[in-house]
Amino acid sequence: MDKGFLIFAQGEEYIKQAYLAALSITATKNSYRTSIVTSDVVPNEYKWAFDKIIPIPWYEETDSRFQTEHRWKLYHATPYNETIVLDADVLVLQDLDYIWKFFENYDLYFPTRVFTYRKDLVTSDFYRKAFTANNLPNVYNALHFFKKSEKSKEFYTWVELITNNWELFYGKFCKEFFPKQPSMDITCAIAAKIMDIDADITNVKQDMPMLVHMKPKIQNWVQDTETWGNRVGIYLTDELKLKVGNHLQDTVFHYVDNDFVTDKIIGKYENAVRNI
Amino acid sequence: MVTSKGVLVFARNNAQIDYCKQAYALAKRARKFLDVPTSIVTDSTEFLLNEYPDAEQVFDKIISIVWKEEDLAENTTLSKTENHALRTFYDGTLIEKKLHFKNETRTLAYELSPYDETLVLDTDVVICNSTLKKCFDRTHDFLIYRTSYDLANNDRSTDFERISDTSVDFYWATCVFFRKTPTNKLFFDLLQHIQENWPHYNNIFQINTPYYRNDYSFAIAIHIMNGYQRGDFAKDMPGVLYYTTDKSILWELNDTDMLLLLDKQGYSGEYTPIRTKGATVHVMNKFSLNRCIDG
Repeated sequence: MDKGFLIFAQGEEYIKQAYLAALSITATKNSYRTSIVTSDVVPNEYKWAFDKIIPIPWYEETDSRFQTEHRWKLYHATPYNETIVLDADVLVLQDLDYIWKFFENYDLYFPTRVFTYRKDLVTSDFYRKAFTANNLPNVYNALHFFKKSEKSKEFYTWVELITNNWELFYGKFCKEFFPKQPSMDITCAIAAKIMDIDADITNVKQDMPMLVHMKPKIQNWVQDTETWGNRVGIYLTDELKLKVGNHLQDTVFHYVDNDFVTDKIIGKYENAVRNI
Repeated sequence: MVTSKGVLVFARNNAQIDYCKQAYALAKRARKFLDVPTSIVTDSTEFLLNEYPDAEQVFDKIISIVWKEEDLAENTTLSKTENHALRTFYDGTLIEKKLHFKNETRTLAYELSPYDETLVLDTDVVICNSTLKKCFDRTHDFLIYRTSYDLANNDRSTDFERISDTSVDFYWATCVFFRKTPTNKLFFDLLQHIQENWPHYNNIFQINTPYYRNDYSFAIAIHIMNGYQRGDFAKDMPGVLYYTTDKSILWELNDTDMLLLLDKQGYSGEYTPIRTKGATVHVMNKFSLNRCIDG
C-alpha cells in the first residue's frame, strides 16, 4: 500500500489513545488511514477506526513502561511504503496532505523544533539535557516519517542494534545525563549520529510538521507545574475545534498527559467521524 | 474625498488628578509635532471650560460623556461598566494614594471619534517628536504597540509579555491607531462586549486581577479577532513606546526634552536621573506630569 499512519500502542491506556488519534486523523479528512501495531487485544468498539491491526513482530513480553525495545520493529511491521509514525498520545487537528508532500523529499524525517500551545518555539532543554550535553541531534520521535528505502532500512537496523545493546551505546554516546531507561528519541539520535545523517533526516530551519508538545515545563510559564491540565483550560467544540488556554490548536497536538483523554472527548470524535 | 484625521484623548478627573490638564497639554503637542487636531472625551466639560478658557480653541471637539439615568434603560456600555475601581497611584516610590481610576470609556472610541483616522492616546503620553504621525501613512487599519521599553531598564519582561503567565500576548492600549472600517467596528463592538462581561473574560483568560484594564481587554479582543491565535489583525505602531512607571518622577519638561528621575529597583527612594531628547514617553506618574505641565 502507498501511504499511511502507524501508531505503536501497548497497554489499555495507550490503545485508547491510539483509537482517539486514529479518529482525529479521519475527522480531519486526511487522505490516508491509520494502522495500529500492538500485541494487546484491541477492543471491538475501537476496531473500526483502524485500517489494520498488526501484531508486534517477534514479540516477547517485557515490563518496560514505554516498550521501547519493540519500536524499531515498526519499519518491518508497517503495511505502507511511506509511513508517518505517531505516538499514541497525539491529536491530528488538520489534514496533513501538505506534510506528505514535504516528506517526499526525504527517506526519513524527524522534527527537531517543537512548539508550545501558544506556538512559541520550545527553547528549553528541561527534558532534553542529554541531547544538549552529548551533542546529539534534537530529534523527536512523536511524529516522524520513513519510506521503505535502503537508507531507512540501515537506519532502523542501527536502531535495532542500539535498542538491544542500549547501555553499551548510551555509555559511548550519551554519557552525560545517562538515563535510567532507554528512550526512543535518544536511540534515534544516536543512530543518526553514527550514520552521520542528521542533516539528511532533519531540517533545523523548518517548523513543519508543527508539533505542539505539551510537556508542562517547556510551556514558557514562570510558575512551575507538574501537569499542564492544572494550568490551562481545554475546550473542544462539537466541530472539533480545540482550544487550550484560549489558543486554537490546529496542527499536531502531543498532549502527553493521559488525563486529557476523556469519554467526552472520545464521544465528540466518534460522533464527528460517524457523520462524515 | 477628504479623510479626517486626529487624536482622541479620554480625560476623566478623579479627586486629585486633573486628566484634563494633561489632555490640554497633549493637544498642543499633537498640533505642534503631529500636525493634527485633538478631540477630548470628558465627563468634566464644565471644569475644562472654566479652568482652560481657550479649551475650545485648543481642542477640535469637546465630547461630553455624562452618565445619565436613561443610559440604564438603554443598557449602554457606559451604564454597565460605570464601576470605578480604586487603584494605587504612586508619585515616586515613597508616596502612594488610592484614587478612582475611570478607564471604562476607551472602548467607545470608535463611536465617539469624529475622525475617519484616529490616534487614541493616553493623556500621559508626552509627545516630543513626529513619529506617531506616521500612523496616518501606514496602510494597515489597526496599529498598537506589542512591546514597550522601560527607561529605568528594570526587569519587567514578564509583566508585559502576556496578560498572565498562561494567557495571551499583551498589548498596550496606551496608543492605538484605527481607521473607521467594518472590521474595526467589529473589533470595538467586541471590546465593549468583553468590558461588559469582564468577570467572565477575566476568569477564562486567567487574568486573576479584579480590575478592568484596557490593555487586557484590547489584548483579548485582538486574540479573538485573530481566531484565537497569533495573526495580523493588529500591526505595530511606528517607532518605540518608551515608558516610565509611576514610581519614577518627571522632574523637568520643556519642548522636546525631559529630565526624569528613574526608580532604582531594590533601592526605595533612590533615583537615577536621565535626560531624554526628542523621545515620546508614556509618563505614568501623573502627579509629576501635572507639576511639570504647570511649570
